[in-house]
Amino acid sequence: MARRRVLGGPFFLMLGMAAGISVGRRWLDVVEVRGGSMAPSLLPGDRLLVESHTYQGRQPRPGEVVLAADPREPERELIKRVASVDSTAAAAELRGDAPAASTDSREFGAVPLSEIHWRAVFRYWPPQRAGRLAELD
Amino acid sequence: MLTIRSLLRPSRIVDAHCDIPCGIYDPEQARIEAESCLRIIEKHDASEDKLFRARCIHVKEERAELVKHHLDVLWHDYFKPEHLEKYPDLHETFWKASKQASKVKQSLDVAAAKDLLAMIDTIDGMWKATGGPEKTRVSGRPS
Repeated sequence: MARRRVLGGPFFLMLGMAAGISVGRRWLDVVEVRGGSMAPSLLPGDRLLVESHTYQGRQPRPGEVVLAADPREPERELIKRVASVDSTAAAAELRGDAPAASTDSREFGAVPLSEIHWRAVFRYWPPQRAGRLAELD
Repeated sequence: MLTIRSLLRPSRIVDAHCDIPCGIYDPEQARIEAESCLRIIEKHDASEDKLFRARCIHVKEERAELVKHHLDVLWHDYFKPEHLEKYPDLHETFWKASKQASKVKQSLDVAAAKDLLAMIDTIDGMWKATGGPEKTRVSGRPS
């Protein structure tokens, strides 16, 4: 799979983040992870850069890490990985990377694509694990 | 003036959520209570002491209720739709096992208590085949 390199180094990335975030938190934002259902990929306390631009142009793809409101408790915003996308039903199956310790679509069913706006792309904290988030199958 | 620090402060928490963070399950829990039922019925039958026999019945009913509780937890919380695909008779199996636990609660039938153990063992097989021992127990218990 071809990898697109957005920016050269961490410095430019930080600068880009800062610029992007200062423009407004509509397209680019930073969030903190709570809970362990995405372990080992994401751990509690990890801070991530999330963006809402991509899904204005296309559907989420399997393997991507996304944010979505919990269908059972909409004020809770979940972070999970897309397991599969049903284009006809316009819904995505979401899973935690730690299936034994995750409440996800197995419990609450597929989530409508209209509810998925944000994609997690980059971890900037903690620095020793900073980097692009891998898209797992 | 906005600082980089303030910009990198998370705007919100996102939840890598799990309803039951402990995620510990084992049909053994139900089996131990069911074994108690069986043994208590045997002790009841072997005794002439009216008071002891009354206590046996009381304790057996408590234990049988616990069997139902542990089966419920497994059924609702451990088993997921993907397991149902693998075991289409999963609901039927749990329903029958719960009914059997009720039967043991109501009667002093040794055969019924043995049947209950066999049903729990069937569930145990499903739990093991779906990776239960690795995923829902903490390793390191001395053998």
